[in-house]
Amino acid sequence: MVLSEMRRRKVLFVGLLGALLIAVALALNIGWIVVNWRTGLWLLIGIISFAVLIAGLVLNTAFLIREIRTTEQHNAFIHAVTHELKTPLASIRLYLQTLHQRDVDPTRRKEFLETMLADSARLQSTIDQVLLAGKTGTATRVTNPIDIDLAEVVGECVTVAGRRHHLIDGEVEVIDRLPEGEDAVVMGDREELQAAVTNLIDNAIKYSGERVRVAVEVVKLGARSVAINVRDQGMGITRDELKRIFRRFYRIPGALSARVRGTGLGLSIVRAVARRHGGRAYAESEGAGKGSRFTLELPLKPL
Amino acid sequence: MTRLLVVEDEEHIANGLKFNLEAEGYCVDTEENGEAALRRLTSEPDTIDLVLLDVMLPGLDGFEVVRRLRSTGSFVPVLMLTARGETGDVLRGFELGADDYLPKPFDLSILLARIQGILRRKMWLANSAAEEFAELLDQYSFCGRRIDFSKQVMERAGVEQPLTLTETTLLRHLIRREGQVVRREVLLEEVWGVRQDTDTRTVDNFISRLRRAIEDEPSHPRHLLTVRGVGYRFVSKPGDAS
Repeated sequence: MVLSEMRRRKVLFVGLLGALLIAVALALNIGWIVVNWRTGLWLLIGIISFAVLIAGLVLNTAFLIREIRTTEQHNAFIHAVTHELKTPLASIRLYLQTLHQRDVDPTRRKEFLETMLADSARLQSTIDQVLLAGKTGTATRVTNPIDIDLAEVVGECVTVAGRRHHLIDGEVEVIDRLPEGEDAVVMGDREELQAAVTNLIDNAIKYSGERVRVAVEVVKLGARSVAINVRDQGMGITRDELKRIFRRFYRIPGALSARVRGTGLGLSIVRAVARRHGGRAYAESEGAGKGSRFTLELPLKPL
Repeated sequence: MTRLLVVEDEEHIANGLKFNLEAEGYCVDTEENGEAALRRLTSEPDTIDLVLLDVMLPGLDGFEVVRRLRSTGSFVPVLMLTARGETGDVLRGFELGADDYLPKPFDLSILLARIQGILRRKMWLANSAAEEFAELLDQYSFCGRRIDFSKQVMERAGVEQPLTLTETTLLRHLIRREGQVVRREVLLEEVWGVRQDTDTRTVDNFISRLRRAIEDEPSHPRHLLTVRGVGYRFVSKPGDAS
């Protein structure tokens, strides 16, 4: 809360300063035109110099504002990762010390062990996410691609997500829209694709709120590419946010987002993985509160 | 029974803390977010002896909770627990009114020891307030003068001179902090029970009256000294404290 307030003030200050300087330059330019208005050459030189000056100021201000935003997002990311790493660790440590120092009855003991397992899984997933973001951060293509059956990957990811979020049947459903007897085979890195699909499914579940209704479908788009669509009926995304959410470290501000755990890496990983496979990732939404649809489009393996 | 409030949105940590604190014999309530905790603490003040407060809570964060809590005049001890352990965060917690700060992951025995420490301090404070009350009955002697606080008189060379209640109380507060400078605002608040922004000349008037009672030469005081622009200082043996 305080962080965004500070950011707003900084951005406002830089923006105002920039606008003021631009206004001064514009006024000087007009003055120059009025004073030199019959002098041909001087008038031209003046106008060009002022134009360069103004363009420079505009660029400089825009750059500064963007840098401030990036730095703040970076700080927010460090905080989020610190929290995501330390919280499960604190929990595991607390339960280990409890078991070490106290007599705990067998039912409670089992409960504590399950809690610790869940926390270690959470820790593992954060670490994986950070490592994968580092790996996919470079824009190069996947090295040593292998044949991957997308429907199979999607099936596995849905099963794992269902178990992790303790979902009941029907909350996440897989819809197979592939033509009868056809597979969707792509060339790529299985681990990366799994991570991308898992991120999309996890997001859909996390941002659904109380009522989870998620559909995952695999669709062929013509003869050359295939798409994985993940649809939810959750909080939706405003038009302005649709592109920003794929930026690294970006998290939608607001009440529900504050309740959802995350590092701001997930969708940037999805987009990076798509690009490394020669595909793309994008989001669509009718607006806030109306659910959203995420698509991961990948080229099919040439026959 | 000592009652603690655990404010923590991470269910696992909240449950683990509850289990351990209950095993130590405390009564434990939990809240998942800042708003609920604040409501609980302000609607039922004095039912909670200590608050364990997480910083990164959804909605109102822990810093904001402790700030708002202090602004309502509540002085329930607050121990902040957080993954944010950088110096700036720790200092911010203290500035806003936290009593202690423990970074996560924490050591269970250290946490329990700190809780005990805070509760012990709280008890001392309660006891010392009672002692202070008892002090009211005492007597105090300096430089051939004897003040009897209960009878509100000053006795000097066998002659008793009455003092008013306010004069006695003012004198007692100055004597209690013998040798130290006491600000006018502090005296106003402690003796008259009024807010600091009230006119401080009241204090000056009473000091003049006290000087007439206890000093040999009220215009050249040796016991009730003025510290210019700040307040007053009581000195029992003027020779030592020039």
